Amino acid sequence: MTSTAILFLIAGLGLITWVFARARAGRFIQQGAASVHSLPSYHGWYAAMWAVVPAILFMLVWSTVAPALGSYAVLESPLAAQLPTDAFERAAILSEARSLSRNPDVKVFNDAARELAPLYADADRNYAMIGALAAFLLCFAGAAYAFTRIRPDFRARTQVERTVMLALLLASLIAILATLGIVASLIFETVRFFNLVSPFEFLFGLQWNPSDKVVDGQATGFGAVPLFWGTVFIGAIIAMLVAIPLGLMSAIYLTQYASANVRKWMKPILEILAGVPTVVYGYFAALTVAPALRSFAVAIGITDASSESALAAGLVMGVMIIPFVSSMADDSIAAVPGSMRDGSLAMGATKSETIKQVLIPAALPGVVGGVLLAVSRAIGETMIVVMAAGLAANLTANPFASVTTVTTQIVQLLTGDTDFNSPMTLAAFALGLTLFIVTLLLNIVALQIVKKYREAYD
Amino acid sequence: MPANPQTPATGRTKTDWMGEAMQKRIARRYAAERRFKWMGLGAVALSSLFLAFLLVVMVGNGAKGFISTEATLTVDLPAATGSISPEQLTQPRLAATMASIDVRRIFDNAVQAQYGEDGARFFASTAWTALRDQLTENPNLVMSKTKVWLPTSSDIDRAAKDNSTPEAEADYATLRKAGEVRQTFNWRFLTGSDGTDPAQVGIWGALKGSLITMVVTLFLAFPVGVLAAVYLEEYASKNWLTDLIEVSINNLAAVPSIIFGLLGLAVFLQFFSMPRSAAIVGGLTLALMTMPVIVIAARNAIKAVPPSIREAAMGVGASPVQVVFHHVLPLAIPGIMTGTIIGMARALGETAPLLMIGMRAFTTTPPDGLTDPATVLPVQIFLWSDEVNRGFVEKTSAAIIVLLVFLLTMNAIAVYLRNRFETRW
Repeated sequence: MTSTAILFLIAGLGLITWVFARARAGRFIQQGAASVHSLPSYHGWYAAMWAVVPAILFMLVWSTVAPALGSYAVLESPLAAQLPTDAFERAAILSEARSLSRNPDVKVFNDAARELAPLYADADRNYAMIGALAAFLLCFAGAAYAFTRIRPDFRARTQVERTVMLALLLASLIAILATLGIVASLIFETVRFFNLVSPFEFLFGLQWNPSDKVVDGQATGFGAVPLFWGTVFIGAIIAMLVAIPLGLMSAIYLTQYASANVRKWMKPILEILAGVPTVVYGYFAALTVAPALRSFAVAIGITDASSESALAAGLVMGVMIIPFVSSMADDSIAAVPGSMRDGSLAMGATKSETIKQVLIPAALPGVVGGVLLAVSRAIGETMIVVMAAGLAANLTANPFASVTTVTTQIVQLLTGDTDFNSPMTLAAFALGLTLFIVTLLLNIVALQIVKKYREAYD
Repeated sequence: MPANPQTPATGRTKTDWMGEAMQKRIARRYAAERRFKWMGLGAVALSSLFLAFLLVVMVGNGAKGFISTEATLTVDLPAATGSISPEQLTQPRLAATMASIDVRRIFDNAVQAQYGEDGARFFASTAWTALRDQLTENPNLVMSKTKVWLPTSSDIDRAAKDNSTPEAEADYATLRKAGEVRQTFNWRFLTGSDGTDPAQVGIWGALKGSLITMVVTLFLAFPVGVLAAVYLEEYASKNWLTDLIEVSINNLAAVPSIIFGLLGLAVFLQFFSMPRSAAIVGGLTLALMTMPVIVIAARNAIKAVPPSIREAAMGVGASPVQVVFHHVLPLAIPGIMTGTIIGMARALGETAPLLMIGMRAFTTTPPDGLTDPATVLPVQIFLWSDEVNRGFVEKTSAAIIVLLVFLLTMNAIAVYLRNRFETRW
């Protein structure tokens, strides 16, 4: 029996328990019990909870324990006595035997695995059977226990609500768990990477030429400065040169000049730009923008223009960021008190003078915060640079040359088989940690600025 | 200041507004005003033009991906199969009959007979499977010598659409003169899976992978997100744990998506040794990414429910849990749904984290379960965009059209839900 079928069965048993417990509690009211504490349905929920939750928890635990028990049973068998004593080799044979027992078409390298596979199949089947039986037993036991507790004065609602609160808290804790998971996995692999490459070499080295070779416990070619420069060049310079003027001017036009009708249509259109998947932008940059820029560069006399230029990736990324900058600027301008605007207009300033000399200076902290958020988003962007920016780690300020970025290299290093002992795989995690820290700092600073600015006008 | 035209004490004279200098200055200021306005309009126009340009390029390239080129082949099935009857090609005897006849050889022989020794160059390498499919769909074909339409090779297909190698162009011209070639809607593109021949690939495999992944994401992220939002908005007391939860959620919402891929690789694949390329791992990773979006949207929706509703429910004796689950949540559901759909649309278009966990499996059959090697639509687009064969350009763009149609539909539903059900108090 598969675990899905068991889950469905338990759920079905839970439903039956709910119906019976509810009916039983309902009878108290029919019999005219003096004071019934909870509604019948709460008694139903209480019983169903007891039927389902312990059984499912048990199945979760069992699914992690059962494979180990299976291996233990196989190792106890006389056939396993001939296995090599080397722990590593033995583990390899055992894992092959297990995958063979699940899927007979799998290719195996050790013949011993072929002999052990039926044993594994038997052991796994036995333990699955034991697990299923125990789960059903727990289900019935829980239901029976809950059933005996159903009385007119039993506070079923309190119990159910306590469980609901627990579920709410657990759901919230998942966010912490995910953050911890990210930080822990990044730091763990990065520390291992820094055993092979010194942090100083990684952060300040100028040569990016990663390889698997480890000489005297040290790997070379992991100087990430060209990557950092490429990331800043594309994400923080070129993209912002496109996004800030266009985004800011769009926001100003839509909020200050455009009629309600124009605004109603243009705002969603700009928002579509933010909804287009990045892989589409990347393809567009690589297919259309990059070749056009290359021919343009050749036409104006730049001969060494690359077909994967920083400019193509940066331009397209800038367009992607426009709606983001625009909506942040929109919010900041809207937060400027109307009295300042009205005062300026009343003094005889034209609309554009009011915007340039009153609104923008007043909204500047908010705009700057928004731009920082946009930068953090741009440097973490992956697909556009992977598809359009190229892989050559050049340290150049020529926008028509090819540069590479942190995210491009992470994808590059982790494509294909990932061996968690290779410095190349570990380097991807070190780059990831750097990216994580930088985006986090940018976000914290930006949010602080925006918050301070909001307080100033509140 | 008193309204006195002569203020000799300060030596000021009244400004001559009608004088030439002032008029010039005003004209200059108004010109600046107009320029500024035009610049704003220009920025909006430029942004939307870029969007229009992108869509036009994609549709222009991709429309051809939905068209396939077919050429005729005359097959003498009664002779080639030893006159089997149509009944033999119906269930339940179909499998046995198909095993007994070699469709591939029949196809090869027919091609040689009609187009000469190297006639195989006209047809796609998998064209014989199309013949097999037509045979099972319409068993009556075996009754007589018939003409069937089969997909052409990628070279001929491209010759029909734009330009190809000179040989293929010549071949196409010959076929066309004889009226033995036609263009039809490419159903195979919507029903097939990945392959090596651009004329034969389809997106159903990737689409199905996307759908399975999205189901996993939705089932994990939606309950967790809504419950967390309820907790934070309605019950959480102000303490360090609540602060930590809030910081974590805001932080997760801002983390670059590729970091989630690294998390999936290190935790799900390496630590828990889950299967590589599987939809379940992709779904888990995207769920972690989507959950903060749902939490934030759900919190806003719950916050928008006026306190009077809660007080009224409390007043008639509802418990705190009943207040939320019977009164607040039902009123907040439209807002929560809108946020969820937008979050799911973002997850559907996400590529980078799924590349990290290896969801780039080359599979010619759609995935059947949560643990089968699978790929998703955006990753398929990325993989095709890397292909050297020019025939993949139109397929990539066509796949992008399909992806955009899905995303636009989801967003349209979100907007509709917002307009239809959102109550303003």
